[in-house]
Amino acid sequence: MTRRERVRACIHPETFKYFVARDDVLDTWSRLSRAYGEPVVADGFGVVEIRHPRFFIRATRMLNPITVIRRRHCTDADVQAIHDLLGFRPEDCAA
Amino acid sequence: MTAARSLPSIDREQIRARFALSYVPERHRRIIAGQEVIVHCHHYNSRIQRTVEGVADIDGKGIVRRASEQAFARQIAYAIEETDDEATRWVVAEELFAELGYGRLDLSKANEGVVTQSAGHFVEGWGVAFGDDRKPVCTLAEGFIQAAFIAIEGQEVEARETECMHCGADACSFTVEKTGAAAEVPAAPERIEGVSMQEHVELAESNIDDQAIINAVVGLAIRGTEEGLIPAFGVYLANTPADVYNGIAIEFVEEMSKLGRMESATRLLNEAGESCAMNTFRGIMDSPEWEALIAPMLQDQSDTLFALVALSNAFGWGNWGVTDHEPGESLEMVSFNGYEALGFLESRGKASEAQCWMLQGVSAGMMELVYGEGSFADRFGTFFVEETDCIAKGNSVCVFSVEEA
Ligand SMILES: [Zn+2]
Ligand SMILES: [Zn+2]
Repeated sequence: MTRRERVRACIHPETFKYFVARDDVLDTWSRLSRAYGEPVVADGFGVVEIRHPRFFIRATRMLNPITVIRRRHCTDADVQAIHDLLGFRPEDCAA
Repeated sequence: MTAARSLPSIDREQIRARFALSYVPERHRRIIAGQEVIVHCHHYNSRIQRTVEGVADIDGKGIVRRASEQAFARQIAYAIEETDDEATRWVVAEELFAELGYGRLDLSKANEGVVTQSAGHFVEGWGVAFGDDRKPVCTLAEGFIQAAFIAIEGQEVEARETECMHCGADACSFTVEKTGAAAEVPAAPERIEGVSMQEHVELAESNIDDQAIINAVVGLAIRGTEEGLIPAFGVYLANTPADVYNGIAIEFVEEMSKLGRMESATRLLNEAGESCAMNTFRGIMDSPEWEALIAPMLQDQSDTLFALVALSNAFGWGNWGVTDHEPGESLEMVSFNGYEALGFLESRGKASEAQCWMLQGVSAGMMELVYGEGSFADRFGTFFVEETDCIAKGNSVCVFSVEEA
């Protein structure tokens, strides 16, 4: 089961790191890239990132946890959709 | 959503290549299109602008616009090549704006008096930092448009934002009115370089590999995407000419001094730095960039502070270092060529007081972030900083002494 922790990111107050079950990490990234585009590895820090109009989806090369930054136009439906892909159910978690 | 697609023959990638970063390692300076640029995040940039525009008795928007117009006119003029036709010149301006991280302007109808913006650094920043404000926020873009007219047409114009995405519009819109006056690209102040010698100062040691952090930041493409934004470290970054920050801060303090409110002005500028240190750096510490490279270096609590200093050096803030540090209690920092001190010296000559308002605030803010407890509001103002020496006063370096308030 995926859990999450709130992180501070100036881009959006509702930013979380999602900790995906270890054996589901690669499948999760496949689902995310099908939905939001191919991840790119940035020079410098080697951060893996998908840049999408609704989200920035980011991780270290370990690919887990996955930081999801919501962008200005992100809607509740967008959040629901990415939660489904991440296997995250808010009702299961206190955080 | 991107601009000026009516000009398909112009290769924008090739134009972008004119803005390649040149990094001067021994001074931690970042140069783009002939201008020293400073990397700050949307939080700091919005806060500085709001500080200056928020004082009722001065023309804050005018201050931001003028500083922006002067510096960007020089930068756009530098980026234009003699063989560029007029259409290409406008695309150079659009792409420079995007490259620096301010957003996506469409200048293709600028000469007809209309400019639009489909993404904006300040639109993103203001919404998060100050969600309640409902006024247009793209003042720096107004100055940039005016600068483009000076650099490209040699004309003075007044650009004003009439609709802003921050207020719910689909795009930001600007009107452009020609005043009828000719305008020349303003000359840059004479630059001061050799005012300090780093080798005479002994820096404190830590477990942080400064060079690895600096290399990673320099290796990171801090360049606007096609929409002209630079998301990195969980914030939006922008490359702003040091002359823009200095123009804003110096004129703000001068205008406030005329009203007998100099102290209030410098306190506000300090607070912008302090808040930047806490908000931006806290965000950076939660980012995958930090987790990937910096977190593995941290052994002591004070290492966090040293890592933040290395990051700020890579951002071009001041080529500074820690000379003395008592964890949780005190900090002494030395800056060898902070842009605030040099900028003051270049444009106003020797100062009677220290001038590095941002670095002062940041040095206190870093202590509050690393050692403070509770919310940011609880931490704010819990450390006190004095800039005892400043290059702007004629000292060889700037010295910041931070202690618990
Ligand atoms: Zn706007
Ligand atoms: Zn100084």
